[in-house]
Amino acid sequence: MPAIIELEHITKIYPRPEGESQILADVSLEVMDGEVLAVVGPSGCGKSTLLRIIHGLIPPSAGVVRFAGRAQDGINLSCGMVFQSFALLPWLTVEQNVMVGLEARGLDDETCRKRAMKYIDKVGLDGNEEAYPRELSGGMKQRVGLARALAVEPKVLLMDEPFSALDALTSINLREELIDLWGDPALPVDTIVIVTHLIEEAVELADRIVVLASNPGRIVESIKVELPRPRERKSPEFSALVDRVFSLIV
Amino acid sequence: MKFSFTQAARYTALVLLVLAGAVLLVAGGVRYLPARGEMPAEVRHLPVYAAWSFLRMLIAYFFALAFSIPYGFLAATNKRAEKVLLPLLDILQSVPVLGFFPAAVFFFVSLTHGSRLGVEMASIFLIFTSQAWNIAFGCYEALTTIPQDSFDALASQGVHGWQRFRILYLPACVPKLVYNSILSWAGGWYFLIACEIISIGPTEAALPGLGSFLKRAAAEGRVGLTLTGIAVLIAIVVAMHLFIWRPLESWSEKFRYEFAASTVAPSRLLVFYRELRLVAYIGRTARRLAAYVARQKIRLFPPRQVIADLEALPPLWRRIVGRTIGILASACALYILVRAGMALVVVLRPPWPHQAWMIPAALGASFLRLLVAYILALAWTIPVAVWAGNRPRAMRIVGPFAQIASSVPATSLFPLIVMFAIHHRGGTNIAAVLLVLTGMQWYILFNLLAGVHAIPGDLKEATRSLGLTGWRAFKTLTLPAMLPSLITGSITGWGGGWNALILSEYLPYAGKVYSVLGIGTLLQEATVPPGNQAMMVLSLVAMVVVILLLNRFFWRRMYNWAADLYKIEY
Repeated sequence: MPAIIELEHITKIYPRPEGESQILADVSLEVMDGEVLAVVGPSGCGKSTLLRIIHGLIPPSAGVVRFAGRAQDGINLSCGMVFQSFALLPWLTVEQNVMVGLEARGLDDETCRKRAMKYIDKVGLDGNEEAYPRELSGGMKQRVGLARALAVEPKVLLMDEPFSALDALTSINLREELIDLWGDPALPVDTIVIVTHLIEEAVELADRIVVLASNPGRIVESIKVELPRPRERKSPEFSALVDRVFSLIV
Repeated sequence: MKFSFTQAARYTALVLLVLAGAVLLVAGGVRYLPARGEMPAEVRHLPVYAAWSFLRMLIAYFFALAFSIPYGFLAATNKRAEKVLLPLLDILQSVPVLGFFPAAVFFFVSLTHGSRLGVEMASIFLIFTSQAWNIAFGCYEALTTIPQDSFDALASQGVHGWQRFRILYLPACVPKLVYNSILSWAGGWYFLIACEIISIGPTEAALPGLGSFLKRAAAEGRVGLTLTGIAVLIAIVVAMHLFIWRPLESWSEKFRYEFAASTVAPSRLLVFYRELRLVAYIGRTARRLAAYVARQKIRLFPPRQVIADLEALPPLWRRIVGRTIGILASACALYILVRAGMALVVVLRPPWPHQAWMIPAALGASFLRLLVAYILALAWTIPVAVWAGNRPRAMRIVGPFAQIASSVPATSLFPLIVMFAIHHRGGTNIAAVLLVLTGMQWYILFNLLAGVHAIPGDLKEATRSLGLTGWRAFKTLTLPAMLPSLITGSITGWGGGWNALILSEYLPYAGKVYSVLGIGTLLQEATVPPGNQAMMVLSLVAMVVVILLLNRFFWRRMYNWAADLYKIEY
C-alpha cells in the first residue's frame, strides 16, 4: 500500500499573549491508501488540529503535508470532513446542505440534485430531504454530515470525533454503517482518518491506531490492528488491545 | 481588550479626522439658509403627513441597510478594515444625531441649490443616522459569532466567494438584522420630530410630516391636536409591528443557530403570507436576481485580481505604489484637517462669545441630569427584566410593548410635561430629566431582557437546586450573568440620553421657551436667529469629546471587565 498522505515534521505553534503555546511538535506520519487510521489521545493533545492541518484548513507552523506525493498548499478538496458538532447550516434543508459542496464545484442543478439524493439514500435518510436540521435527531444530523462529506466523492474521509456527541446506541449503529460504506466498492472513499478520544471506537474501526501525547502533541506509538472484521467487542483480543492503548495514554 | 500605543494613536487620529470633518461641515452649514416653509397643523392633513413621514423613514431605512450590510461584513471579515471601521462606528454612534444637523443641511441643500429636494435629502440623511449604526453593529456581531465549524465545513466543501456570502454570511445576519431593524425604526420615529423641521441660523424649513406636525402643535400649545398626532403615530407603529415585524421575526427564527435561545412566538400571519402568490413571486424574483448576479461573477469585495497583480510586482515597484497611495491618503487627511482648522479659526476668532465660559458648567449640569435619569432607568428596568426575562410568556408581552413604547417620541409629550413644569419650582429640570429618561430607558431594558433570557436553564436549575431564592439567587446568578448586557445597554442608553438631551433641556411651548442650564440648551440657543456659529461648534465639539472620553475610559473598561469576569461560556 502506498502512502496517500505524508506529514513531514509538522509543528504547530499559536502565539498567545502570555507566550507561545506549542500544539504539535515534529509530527511525522503516513496515511496509507485504503486504510482506516484512528488518531487517539487525551483532550488537548492537538489531534483535531492535526486533522485540520491534513485537510489544509489551517496551515502548519513548520513542516510539509503531501497528498499523493505532491506538497499541499491550501485546502485539499480531495478530502471530505465530518464534524463533531455536525456543522450543518440551520437555514438549509437536508438536501441543500448536502448540495453545498457540489454547487461550489460548479455542477449544474440537475446533477447536484441527483448526486445529493444518491448520498442521502446511502446514509439512510431518504424521505427527509426537505427537513431542516433542527427537526432531526443527533444521529440523523450526523448522517447528513456524512452524506455531505461523501457527496463530493473525496478520496479521503476525515472525521473529527464524529460520534462523540451522540448517544451510545446511535453511535454503535453509525460505526457499523460507516464500515459498510467504506467497504462499498461503488463509493470512491477508501481511506478514512478518524480522530477520537474513545479507545473502543478506535479499536473497533481502525486498521491502525496512532496514539498522541499532549504538551506538546506528539506521536507516542503507532499500533496495527489485525483483528478480523466484523469485530467482536467482547473478545479477549479486543479487550487486550483496548487495555494496551489505554496504558499508552495514561 | 488591551490597548497598545499604536492603536491609541490610530484611534486618536481617526477621532481628530471625524471631528475635523464635522467642524468643516458645521461651519459651512451655518452660512447656508434654506427657504422658509409654513406647514399648517390641522387634523385633515394628518394622513398625508403620516404618509410622507413613513416614506422618508422607508427610504432612509433602505439606505441604512445598503450601508450597514457591507459595512458590517467588511468589519467582520477583514482584520485590517476592522481596526478602522469599528472605532469609526463607535464615534458615529456617539455623535448625537442632532449634531449632524447643520452639516447635513448645508451639504444637501447646497447640493440642490436650496430646493425642497435638498431639505428632503437632509431630513432623510438625519433619519438614516438614527438607524444605520445600530444595524451595522448588529451585522458585525452576527458575523463574528458564526461558529468556526461552519466556516471549516464550508471551506472543506470548497465553498468560497459569492456562494459563501449567499449561504453563510447573509443568512447568519438575518435574525440580528430583523431585530435591530425594529430598534432602528423605533429610533427613527423617536427623532422624527427633530428631523423634519430644520432650523439653521435665522430661518426654519419645515417638511410636511408627522414630526413637524407634532412639533408645531406642541409649540402652539394645542394639546388635543398633539394627542391626535401621537395616536396616529402609535397606530402606525402598532400596525407595522403586527403586519411586518412579527411575521419577519418569526421567519428569522429559521436563520438562528440552535444554541441561541429564542423568545419569538410563532406568527399566524407568516403562514398566511406564505400562501400569498405575491410573496412567493417576490421571493422567486429575488432569488433569480441573486442567481443572475452570481452568474455575472461580480466581485463585490476587493478586486482580487488587482491585489494579486500588485503583489506580483517587483518589491521596489510595490513599495513605490504603496508609498504613493499612503502619501495621497495622508495628503487628503491633512487637507481636511487644515481646512477644518482654518474654518475653526475663522469661526472661533476671539473674542469668544461670553456664553463659551458656560460650557463646562453646562456639561456638568447635563451630565448630572443624565446620571439621575440613568439611576431612575435602572431602578425600574432591572426588576422588570428579572421578572419578565425568566418568564417566556411575560417576555412575549413586555418585549413588543417596549418596542412600541420606545417608538413614541417623548418629545411630543412636551405640552403635558411642560404644563406640569411651569407650575412647580424646578419643574423644568424635572421635565428635562424625564425626557432624557425616555431616550435612555428602552435601550437598557432591551439589553437586560436579552441578557436575563440568555442565562442557561441549567444554571437557573442548579441555583434552585442549591436552595438559593430571592435576593441571594439574584446576587449569585442573575446579577453577574446580566452584567455584560447591563453595560452594553448602558452604553447605548447613555448614547440615546445624550441625543435626547438636546431636545430635553430647551422646551418651546405656546410661544414661550422653558429651558435649564445645560449643553443641550447652549446648542439649541446657538441655532436661534440670528445663529451663533462659534457657540454651535464649541458646544458640539465639547459634547462629543466628553462622550468619547466617557466611552473610552469608563464604559469600554467596564465592559471588558464584566465580559472577562462574567461571560458564560459553554
